Parts: sequence; structure tokens; C-alpha cells
Amino acid sequence: MFRVISITGFIVVFASLAFHCLVFPVSGKHKWGPVAILKKLVHLLTIILLPQQLSLLGVLRKLLYLLTLLCFLVLVLTGFYRPLVMDEHLSGYLLMIHATFAPVFAICVAILAVMWAHHNRFKAADWPWLLRVLRRFIHMKTADKQDEGEQSCLIQKIAFWLIIFLTLPVILSIVLGMFPIFGTHGQEVLLNLHRYSTLALTLTAIIHIYLIIRIQMK
Amino acid sequence: MRKGLILTGTLFWLALAIPTFAASDKILLGDMQDGSLAQPVHLINLFDEEGQRISPDDELVLPFSMRGSCADCHDYDKISKGRHFNAVLPDAEAGRLGQPWIYVDAATATQIPLSYRPWEGTYNPRQIGLTRWKFIKSFGRQLPGGIGEDTDAESPDLQARWTVSGELEINCLACHDGDPGHDRAEYATQIVRENFRWAATAACSFASVKGSAQKMPETYDPFMPEILDDPKLIPLTVNYQESAFDNNKRVLLDIVKKAPDYRCYFCHSNVKLQEPDIQHWMTDQDVHLAAGLTCVDCHRNGLDHEIVRGYENEASVSTNPLAASSSCKGCHTDGRLGASEPKHAGIPPVHFERLSCTACHSGLMPQQKTQRIKTSRAHGLGTHSVNRSADALPHIVSPVFAKQPDGKIAPHNLIWPAFWGSLKDGDVVPIALELVGKAAGKILDGGKVSRSGDWPDLTAEQITKVLVVLKNTVEKPVYICAGKVYSLDNKDQLTDTQDCAAKPYLWPIAHDVRPAAQSLGSGGCSDCHTTDKPFFFGRVDVDSPLVSEAASTKEMVEFQGLRPFYTKAFAFSFVFRPWLKIVSLVSCLLIAGVLLLYALKALGSVVKVLSEEEK
Repeated sequence: MFRVISITGFIVVFASLAFHCLVFPVSGKHKWGPVAILKKLVHLLTIILLPQQLSLLGVLRKLLYLLTLLCFLVLVLTGFYRPLVMDEHLSGYLLMIHATFAPVFAICVAILAVMWAHHNRFKAADWPWLLRVLRRFIHMKTADKQDEGEQSCLIQKIAFWLIIFLTLPVILSIVLGMFPIFGTHGQEVLLNLHRYSTLALTLTAIIHIYLIIRIQMK
Repeated sequence: MRKGLILTGTLFWLALAIPTFAASDKILLGDMQDGSLAQPVHLINLFDEEGQRISPDDELVLPFSMRGSCADCHDYDKISKGRHFNAVLPDAEAGRLGQPWIYVDAATATQIPLSYRPWEGTYNPRQIGLTRWKFIKSFGRQLPGGIGEDTDAESPDLQARWTVSGELEINCLACHDGDPGHDRAEYATQIVRENFRWAATAACSFASVKGSAQKMPETYDPFMPEILDDPKLIPLTVNYQESAFDNNKRVLLDIVKKAPDYRCYFCHSNVKLQEPDIQHWMTDQDVHLAAGLTCVDCHRNGLDHEIVRGYENEASVSTNPLAASSSCKGCHTDGRLGASEPKHAGIPPVHFERLSCTACHSGLMPQQKTQRIKTSRAHGLGTHSVNRSADALPHIVSPVFAKQPDGKIAPHNLIWPAFWGSLKDGDVVPIALELVGKAAGKILDGGKVSRSGDWPDLTAEQITKVLVVLKNTVEKPVYICAGKVYSLDNKDQLTDTQDCAAKPYLWPIAHDVRPAAQSLGSGGCSDCHTTDKPFFFGRVDVDSPLVSEAASTKEMVEFQGLRPFYTKAFAFSFVFRPWLKIVSLVSCLLIAGVLLLYALKALGSVVKVLSEEEK
């Protein structure tokens, strides 16, 4: 069941992103060509090697982001490979790698949450449609202008907060299972919670990464 | 015309009906349930093998026959196909591997698992020259009967001995006699004397048997005994207590439907060795028995005596309708017999896919090295001639946590087969014991065996010599022991190889069951998942008569189908488990804090907006 839902989820998300690319192509000289994406990825991965015009905190922030991205990639590959490709539970060396990277990911996400929360807080300009409704009911003064960049930013912020929120059940469902609290049924519920919350987290993170790359390309 | 039609119709109906009647099973009086749960009283006449009613004042007093006495009311033939009696039947379901009969001969350094069931790793007794006669002589002490003469395989001499000794009928009383005077040890003694026909009678408290069929001439006819030529010979006689018979020559047998535990224990006891300071009374019994259950509360059967063995997936091979619900899982999920539902708090579900229930709950608690045990059937426990030495063969080691055919790891008992064989098409076929005896007798210290019944001190030179002698009579002789095949090369030099043919025989165990608080894992993950815990890294004793191999061991993980390095690395990773928990929980706290903070901020913004509007 989880296998079917996961594969469907991945297909739907990737198809939606592809559709979004086609319907709303990036304006200007940057296109969604393979070379452009590759360049962006190389830029992301070599960001620490290039001369930075950032403060120490900025460097640390980007470094942390890259580390989180690496952990996320490893966790996704090790976590989904056996269940999706082989229809088996996670075990063996993959499990050991998964469990090694998991706490690093957890602490990275926590620090990122602290560092990026303020930047990702919702502002009045993030949801003009809501403001229009509010204006009608409570005569609130708001800005009218809205462009696609702001809209993307809203979805990115939602994706950020979703990632942060989903990380909680992802971590807790595993850690609580290590304490003698939950019985067999509880353990199965926790395991399913881990699976499905991880799936949701992964799909959200893919959308978040897509939006970051898209904004960077503008 | 009309009469003709009626006649034709009647004949037609009869033609259809007669086969139906013939096919239907006849239900005997004792096999019919009337609904009463009371214990039926068995005040019955006893009959001998030829159907004659027994009276203590008969001129010739014969042993009573189970078939003769019980079959009037109980379907003896149907019962004889039950689990305890059907091993020799070719179409009997073998089921999961079980405890074999272990033939032991210290003089020829032999310890070989035998079974009439086609269990992989066991050998048919006939392969080592054990005819049914010899099989009964060796193991009949703890057989419930039901093994008769194999006319194809017995020599004419032995066929004559069968006539004297009689068939080893099913001994119903072995399980169903509630009389505390019923003496199974006496039954075993009668088997040694070849008094097969008399054994069940002799075990009863109201009868005694004198004489030995073993000493009788082949021409001896127990139904028409002649005066014996040798005055020293005691004729085979039965004495019944006259007081046991009423005026109608009936005897009150204390027959119980549910066999008492102590009857089961005569054949199914296990005892741990190597801890002389700990005696049996200091140990706890199976938790189910301690809770008031009996063996047959779980191991049930109907008239067909297809008793439930109680393992998972038994229902796929058993006709017993309770097979599915009588396993650990069967009772402990449905709450049968008041079984508690296991909590298994903190144990990841993967454990239930890879371990049997018994892995954590049954058998001896694993120690750094496996221990030796004795079992009733292997060592003749409870019989008069039992060797009480801790070193007595066969050497059974336990618990060995090994992978079962269903892929789950379960505790097993293990023996390392040791025998002389012949290599044929890559398979090792055991050599008949007589042949080995002749070849090895003088070489292996003249057949001298220590009083303890332990292995003789075998050397590589002795093995070489025996193999050289055997080479004259059998093709490619080999000696199997300690998981190795010893053979001669072209220059008659001894070589040894690891081979499947020499692999140990393991059979899963389920008792004694320990309570949850004493199970593996009750002390946390570290009960198994550390680099020195015996579940994965215990040492399994490799038993060998070879002096040079005496102290060898194998690692438990080798029996589990797991990669040793991975298992070690996985166990080592548990060192960091506490850190994983701490880091993860701290991360969660931070994340939860951020979420709470910004949720409050958001709430504050909403409050602010709404309150401004109010102004």
C-alpha cells in the first residue's frame, strides 16, 4: 500500500512540477534547460568553495543548508530504495547508513528552523487574496500589487513550515519507538506514521527545492 | 409389470446405497460423544492377543493386549495413524523437524540422528542396519508402541524372534493411565528383555511379569509354552493381582482422557547439565505449567490422535482443526485459555518477522557458550539403566539460535553427527554398524568405553587406520564428525573437508517457556545487540571425539544466515543509540519551540489586526 501511494505521490509531484515549468516558464535568459539546472546544482554544491561575499553566519547558514540537503538525499535514497524498488523493509547496511544520517539531519533541520524561521514568516503581502477578503469584512488597508515571485515565495514559505512541522512526526515516530512505551500495535502505528510523514516531508522538500532553484534562476 | 418396476427400483436404490453404507466409518462406543464431560469409568474385561478374556486364575495367564482390550470401543486402526505412532507409515506427514532418535555407540565413535520420518539431516534406521527389531530394542523404552515387524527387512532369525517377543502394540496406558503405580521404567526393562508383548502389562500396577523372551529359544511359543530344557531359564509368566478383578473378571482401569504431565515427561523431559550446583528443584518449570495448564491443554488431539505440535504454520500440514489456534500466536492473540496479549513495548515489529516467539521466550537463557543437555529420548532418562554421567553420549548442545526454513531465527537443540560412511555421488551414506564394529573394534582401543559413556579419545591415526580397513569393503569410506568429512587421499593420508553432509542436525525447541520478565529483550536492546552477547556472538560447542578438535567452537551467527561483519557492525552501532535518542529529542524540542514561537507570533498578529479594527 505504502509502495503504491509513494510511487503515485512521486509521479504526481514530478508531473506537477514539470507542468508548472511548462505553463509558467522562467522569464529572461534563464531557461529550464538541462544545462541551466546542472549549473544551478553545481553552484549549490560548490558554494562553499567559491569566494563568498557573505558574513560568517551566512557561510555557516549555506553550509548547513548543504549538509541538510546531503543528509536529506541520503535518507531519501536509503529509506525509499528497498520499500519502493524491492518491496522490502529497510534493513542491512542501508538501515545503518539511514540511522547514521538521521540524527545529523534532525539537528540540521532544527538549526535551519531557528535560522530561517524569521525569513520565512508570513507577511501581509504573502496572501493578497486573503487581504482582499479581509478588506471587504474589516476594511483593512493593504497593498494591492502582486507578482508571480511573491506567489512563489508564499508557496516556498508554506513548504518551509510544512517541512519543519513534518520533521516532528518523522523524528518522534522513530525515537518514541525506541522507548518501552508503545506495544506491538503502537509500534506499527509509529512505523506507518514515520513512513507516511516521511513521504509527505520528501514531497514537500522536493517542491521547496524546486522553488528555491526557480527563484535563484530569476 | 408394476411389480417388476418396483423390484428394479428397489435394486437400483440398493445398488446406490450399499457403497455409501460401506464407505461410512463405523463409530465405536467409546468414540461417540454423548455430551457428558464426566470421566467415563473403564471397568472392563481384559483380552489377550488372541481375543481370549483374561482371568487371573487361568491355567495359562497371558499379557493383555491393547488392541484386544480397547479396540471393541475405540478405533484402534484410526488411532494407530496418529502422530505418536505413524512414523513408520510411508504416507505420514513429516511436519517440522523434530527431535530424532540418536543412536550412540561410543566404541565406534558413533552418534547419529535417526528417524523414520524424512527429516533432512536424519538417517533412516535401516541405513545403519537397524531393523525395526533392533530399533525397538534400542529405543522402545520411550516409544508409545505402534511399531510392528517389517517382514521385508528382517532376517529369518529375527522373524522368529518377533514370534517369541510379539508386536509392540500401541500402549494406550503410556499416556492415559492415571494410576500412579503405572511404571514406565518397568516398560523399558521389558523392552530390554525383548518382552514386547508383555511390556504394557508389566508396566501396570496390578500385574507383574517374570522371564525374558530374549533368553527363550526361537521355537518358544508363548501361547502353548512347553517345559524348558534349561532349568535356569525362567518361563515367561504374568501374575495379575486377583483383587484387581471383580466377580465378572473385570478390571478397573484409571483411564484419563487428558494425559497427565508426568506421563508426557517420561519421554519429553530435558535437563540442563554443566551446573552441578543447580539442581532441578531450584529451577522453574514452564510458565504455562506454573500457571496451571497441562501439556495436553495445548497439545490436543481427537480420536485420530493427530496431536497438535503447536508450531506456527502447522495448519498447512496438519489435519487437526486446532493446529492454527494452538501456536503461541494462536492463543496469545485470541486470548484462548486466558492467554495474555503480549505488550512487547519498545520492540520494533521487525523482530516478529525475523524471530520466532520461542527465540526470546523458550529454552535455556543463552550464555557465552552453549550448554549440554540431556533428553529423555536421547539418554533414556527415567529408566532403570540410565547413565547419570554428565558426559554420557549423545552430546546435545543448547540453545543454538539458528534460522528455520521459514526464515525466522529460533532456539534449537543441536547434535554433531559422528559416524562412518561411504561417499556415493557426493552424498554420505552411513555404513552398517556391524561392519563398522568389525573394522573399528580393535583399532579404537578394542571397543573399550569409559564408564561415563563419553567419547573415546580418538586420534587422526586411528581414523586413518579404520578408513584403510573399511576401504576393503566399502567404496570411498569417510568418517563424519564435528562438521567435517574425513577421508583418505590417493596416498592414504587423512584429509578433512567442510561439507554439507557433515552439518549438524538441529531441531527447534519450544519449552520451557519463560515469562515476559525473564525473556530475552526484557533488559532492553542490549540483551542481544551488543558485540559480545551470546544471541549473535555466543560460541556453539563443536562436539567431536577427535582429541585435536575437542575444544573447537563456532560463532552463533554462522547458524543464522547472517553476515558476521554486518551483525557485528550493527551491534556496535547500538553504542550510539543513546546519543541518537538525545540528539533527536533535542532537535524535536528546538523545532517544536520554533513552531510554537511563530504560531504565537501569528496569533499575536491576528489579535493585533482584529483589535485595531475594533478601535
